[in-house]
Amino acid sequence: MTPAPIATNAASSGVKLERKTLRQLGKRSDVPGLIWLAHWVVFLLGGGVLLHLSVGTWWVVPAMIAYGAVLVVPTYALSHETSHGTAFRTRWLNDALLWISSFIYFEEPNHRRYAHTSHHTYTMHVGKDGQMPFALPMTFREWLVELTHLGFYWYEIKLFVKNALGRFSPLVLQYTPEDELPKLKWGARVYLAAYATLLAFIAAGHVWPLLYLVLPRLVGAPVMQMFTILQHAELSEDTPSILDSTRSYKGGWLSWFLYMNMNNHVEHHLYPQVPFYALPGLQKAIEDQVPEPDPGFWRTNYEVAAVVARRSLGLSTRAPSIRQAPHMITEGGFTKISEANMR
Amino acid sequence: MSTWIKACAADEIDDEDLIRWDYDGQTFALFNTPRGFFATDGLCTHEDQHLEDGIVIGQVIECPLHQGRFDIASGKALSAPVCVDLKTYPVKLEAGCVFVDIG
Ligand code: FES
Repeated sequence: MTPAPIATNAASSGVKLERKTLRQLGKRSDVPGLIWLAHWVVFLLGGGVLLHLSVGTWWVVPAMIAYGAVLVVPTYALSHETSHGTAFRTRWLNDALLWISSFIYFEEPNHRRYAHTSHHTYTMHVGKDGQMPFALPMTFREWLVELTHLGFYWYEIKLFVKNALGRFSPLVLQYTPEDELPKLKWGARVYLAAYATLLAFIAAGHVWPLLYLVLPRLVGAPVMQMFTILQHAELSEDTPSILDSTRSYKGGWLSWFLYMNMNNHVEHHLYPQVPFYALPGLQKAIEDQVPEPDPGFWRTNYEVAAVVARRSLGLSTRAPSIRQAPHMITEGGFTKISEANMR
Repeated sequence: MSTWIKACAADEIDDEDLIRWDYDGQTFALFNTPRGFFATDGLCTHEDQHLEDGIVIGQVIECPLHQGRFDIASGKALSAPVCVDLKTYPVKLEAGCVFVDIG
């Protein structure tokens, strides 16, 4: 019998769940996803109206930030969830929203899917995980590049062009089956054509795509990144255990609405077949086997930012309350472990 | 050549679910679906993850690792990241037991 590879998931982390419970939690339905989608549409329309009314006043700044956050964080979350195919039971709905959300997110969907498979098989394994966006350990500069999403835009622009030309990088070839490469090529071409059309439209004097899509995408990115940086920052690389490589933190309604419950990130990596709406239930079912979630969004972000700033200043990197891998804690100075692979 | 092997009692597999069955150095997935019982290879064709923790959605099995999907009856790969079909095996029910023709 061929031994199955050791993927980073519940089995490799020593976490167990009764088959009946897993089946129950993994059940698919369109209803929770449609309810979530309805909330998003209402908030986007409301935010869009406020943004429209604020144009020409100083209120445009907070309105743009709020609308940007409501546009971008759920865009990321939806693109991620639909790339797993778990947002909706109906396949075409999943796929349609994967293409739409990935367009706003700025990643070709076929590539998004394959790169993400490597992130699940080899979570935070240097050289194998295709989605390691920052160098380890993270410095303040790395944190800033990540927060602004500037590294990502640059990486994606290069990726779009290379994939559209069929010149795939060794990393892309590592996680994409050969037969699927034409899909990546054509997907990149379609998206590049769509982006070029959008730019031409703006250049022709149409302001609304700039105001309601491009600028909010850029302005909202740091808010999105405040959610995603927490997923693995300051934890272990090259470990089979998701409990050591991944972070969950406490969240409520806002995490559901903006982030599709991905604050339960340990649980998501342990059982990626469980859809976003069942993650709080999964958290309850395995809470005695996983670490206590870190404090909420603000506190965890504050501590991560403080740790990376202190690392860059050569000070102690011990955080007051968030989980950290032992080797991420130093009393000054650090040894580089790996470079970012999304630059 | 047919080689029918008794795999399990039919009631060992819940409705719309699967179990793992290992036999003679091979690993299989046995399914109970709304259209009857089926058997396939146990390992996903994408990265050899066992399908035993997968989710059965009607006539479709979704791989637990990256959510690639196969048609249970034909083994056809339905959605990325799977692109190679799953091998299937004939199944029959006799006296409340599931038999698999492993060939
Ligand atoms: S191992 Fe099955 S979809 Fe990747």
